[in-house]
Amino acid sequence: MRNPLLKRFARELRSDFGKYATIFILLTLSISFVSGFLVADNSMIMTYNESFEKYNVEDGHFRVRNALNKGQIRRIEKQGITLFENYYKDTPFDNSTTIRIFAERTDVNLVCLMNGSFPEKTDEIAIDRMFADNNGIRTGDTLVSMGKTWHVSGLVALSDYSTMFENNNDMMFDSVRFGTAIVTAEAFDLLPEASLRYCYAWKYHQPPADADAEHDLSEELMGHINSVSPMEEYVPRYMNHAIMFTGDDMGSDKVMMEFLLYIIIVIVAFVFRITIRDTVVKEASVIGSLRAAGYTKSELIRHYMAMPVAVTLFSAAVGNVLGYTWMKKICADLYYDSYSLPTYVTRYNPEAFVKTTLVPVMIMAAVTYFSLQTVMRLPVIRFLRNDLSSRKNRKAVRLPHGMPFVQRFHLRILLQNKGNYLILALGIFFANVLLMFGMALPQSLTDYENSIKDNMLCRYQYLLQLPASAADDTHRLESMMNMMMYAQKMETDNPDAEKFTAYALKTYDVPNCREEEIMFYGIIDSSRYIHQELQADDFFVSSAMADKYMIREGDTFSFKESYGDKTYTFTVTGIYPYEGAVAVFMDQQAMNRIFDLGENTFSGYFSNSEITDIDEACISTVIDEESLTKVSRQLMVSFGGMMYMVDGFSVIIFIVLIYILSKIIIERNTQSISMIKILGCSDREVRTLYMHLTSIVTVFLMAATIPAVYYVLLWIIRIMLRTMMSGWMPLDISFKTMAGMAALGWISYGAVALSESRKIRKIPMEEALKNVE
Amino acid sequence: MFLELRDIKKAYGEKENRTDVLKGISLQAEKGEFLVLLGSSGSGKSTLLNIIGGIDRPDSGEVMIQNEKLSQMNEKQLTRYRRKHLGYIFQLYNLIPNLTVRENIEVGAWLSSDPLDTDTLLDVLGLTEHQDKIPSQLSGGQQQRTAIGRAIIKNPDILLCDEPTGALDYRTSKEILKLIETVNQKYGSTVIMVTHNDAIRLMADKIIRLRDGMIRDITMNDQKVPAEKLEW
Repeated sequence: MRNPLLKRFARELRSDFGKYATIFILLTLSISFVSGFLVADNSMIMTYNESFEKYNVEDGHFRVRNALNKGQIRRIEKQGITLFENYYKDTPFDNSTTIRIFAERTDVNLVCLMNGSFPEKTDEIAIDRMFADNNGIRTGDTLVSMGKTWHVSGLVALSDYSTMFENNNDMMFDSVRFGTAIVTAEAFDLLPEASLRYCYAWKYHQPPADADAEHDLSEELMGHINSVSPMEEYVPRYMNHAIMFTGDDMGSDKVMMEFLLYIIIVIVAFVFRITIRDTVVKEASVIGSLRAAGYTKSELIRHYMAMPVAVTLFSAAVGNVLGYTWMKKICADLYYDSYSLPTYVTRYNPEAFVKTTLVPVMIMAAVTYFSLQTVMRLPVIRFLRNDLSSRKNRKAVRLPHGMPFVQRFHLRILLQNKGNYLILALGIFFANVLLMFGMALPQSLTDYENSIKDNMLCRYQYLLQLPASAADDTHRLESMMNMMMYAQKMETDNPDAEKFTAYALKTYDVPNCREEEIMFYGIIDSSRYIHQELQADDFFVSSAMADKYMIREGDTFSFKESYGDKTYTFTVTGIYPYEGAVAVFMDQQAMNRIFDLGENTFSGYFSNSEITDIDEACISTVIDEESLTKVSRQLMVSFGGMMYMVDGFSVIIFIVLIYILSKIIIERNTQSISMIKILGCSDREVRTLYMHLTSIVTVFLMAATIPAVYYVLLWIIRIMLRTMMSGWMPLDISFKTMAGMAALGWISYGAVALSESRKIRKIPMEEALKNVE
Repeated sequence: MFLELRDIKKAYGEKENRTDVLKGISLQAEKGEFLVLLGSSGSGKSTLLNIIGGIDRPDSGEVMIQNEKLSQMNEKQLTRYRRKHLGYIFQLYNLIPNLTVRENIEVGAWLSSDPLDTDTLLDVLGLTEHQDKIPSQLSGGQQQRTAIGRAIIKNPDILLCDEPTGALDYRTSKEILKLIETVNQKYGSTVIMVTHNDAIRLMADKIIRLRDGMIRDITMNDQKVPAEKLEW
């Protein structure tokens, strides 16, 4: 015979459909989102990893001033590598973008066609899919560059440009202004010669055994190539951001997503804990009778656990189906917004199944089991006497006699439901964290972009470099001549230009922080651009750096060489107000001395006007408004879509929690409400007694948690930025954003309150006369 | 002896709040006997019944059923004991609100390896036409009959009734008493009924009067009166 208690489940579901439906929606959405994310993330990573072989991605590339002849190629290839021409032409387009155009590829760094077709005619171009998305370009559209019209034949992903780093030295990529494309070999030849870059990709015949071996091999190779032909750029694959950044970055959001899911599960588990406890109190005498009749504790615990666990399991099943179908696409699109990845194939992810199905069910089972275990431990007699209070000699809290009736009544409800209100507070806090994240981040990005524009050190910073060819250990005399020649080419007549020394060191030994390259500026005396007189022993950090690493004057900070073991420790003597970068400012002479750079060395210019008289080969990077705002622009592109999802999600959490908890409060008092109706209270008066408190508490919590949320979010974002990315962005949340958050929360509550007041109206007076045994 | 209680003592509270509810109760019952525990409110009747039922433990003394000592049983064994031997009827019916009459009765049947036939029992209880109703659709008497059905469907050795007619009117009370009498006679269950209604003693084999936690007297009733003929 089947246990007749099982028949209760369907009826329980029907009679409390609202509660289970809302919890189901919340759980299903969370699980589907996380499941979709994990599946997309895993599939993407696998596709990305496989792309190295599938698309025969280079082991590195170098650029030379002139094309290599056959002899030179043979000499270089003797080092155990095969060279492939990977020439490109950076071409400006009329929509203020630059596209790096390559000729069609057949051997190395192969191209994944994602839409349309490869170019066949000289006026056809296949552009990067992400660049096209970010600029609203579709297959069939036309693009204009220097008077020539190009027809977009298709959208592609170049396997050596999964991230759009224009230069390998760039702090951040910019997939809005910079893209890649391929054209036919014939069309490539027709492009202006001036922009032609002689880039060669290489593949090792015998791939190095490990990272150390690869490093040694590439160092050796660099010297050799340089001796064959002077280089302008040398980038082994492991140092190529355009290829490697994607792999490093993907997966770092995973922990956050899982954390989000588990917080929601725990909140829902505690909601269930309250409802179960309520049901047990309501059914105490029934439970007592069943126990008296011989039902075991574990049979009853299983019975009351079944619904929450079943709802979670069902939500997990539906969530996973949605995750694998609908959400996976949304999450994959989030990656496609940031990275130019080839078309992915969905892979079954057992980890996602465990984390989105087994773990939530286990959390739910554990929380409900332990709460039931606690209450079921009470003797049967206590159930029969309807006495489940955990405290002996329970007494009513004394309230002052002079207190007005309604206030006393509200306080009694508050005390009766303190557990509910606590969960409500936690839920509102959590939803507000999400909401603030969703609403404040876009605002912060915009504010940050504006503040950068207003607070630049100067309009242009030129970072200079000696071309790789200038240094040649084997031909010392030639090398010295080269250096002198380039030193000449680095001088400018621009009156705005001011020399500075630039040097980069990596942060060293900073706990819980991603290692990051910090730019050191050596500033001349009486600088026009840095308004701080720096003495020989001064060490100023930018306000962005002070904020990121929580540095104060007098603190010490350590750095190490990027390619060496030498470490440096400095004592901070001041903070320079500059939000544009995590940077250090020192006296130029002192800096040159400390880093052994030579007394008159300089490596960059500050200028408020463009410098046009320096050899382009000597310019490594130009830091201007566009490059400084790349970070915020890219973050907006990457996270913009996600922010709106997060907003919607927080509103759902608001509604679900407020709905369930206020429903419990009203249900708990159904008989009393019915009784006071009999006594003559109007619906409005009942609402005053039973709903106003929840309204006051909810409205209060929604506003009061915002300051706490602000600090928690600052802490979370600080940890995220410190551990996940280079650079810094101050989080500034305006009053308008906060007011918007509170308003959104109140509107959500308004919707719930309306439905609950209807429920109060429907409570019949007979309720008080029924079942009073 | 089927059931034996030896010097049962029970107190609640501590120090100045201590109340001695049972002060040394000893009694015996044979299989199939009908016992009535009489006494005023606070005399310890319900506490004694709960101790026999294994849902409360005495401070001292021993309850033995078929030579098995309840004091030596742990929580699991006590549950098994109740499951196997006992049927419980309360003054409050304690029915499961979202199960029908039939299903509420089946809740008892599920516990037994050899339950009575549900249809026959519904017929005996006069609930056949109400079997698909839920408790809130029933009168008090019908609810109590359902509770009785739930208690006796597992064919218990002992039926413990705690004021089963306490919340019912005269006519319904007699119906319930007749039913309990039938269970006692037809199925041979030992019935121990707590009541403060003096008239009910006439249907019992043994009348035990309690006062202030002690047995005032035990009377054997040789001239049992059928429930039908009881008047109060």
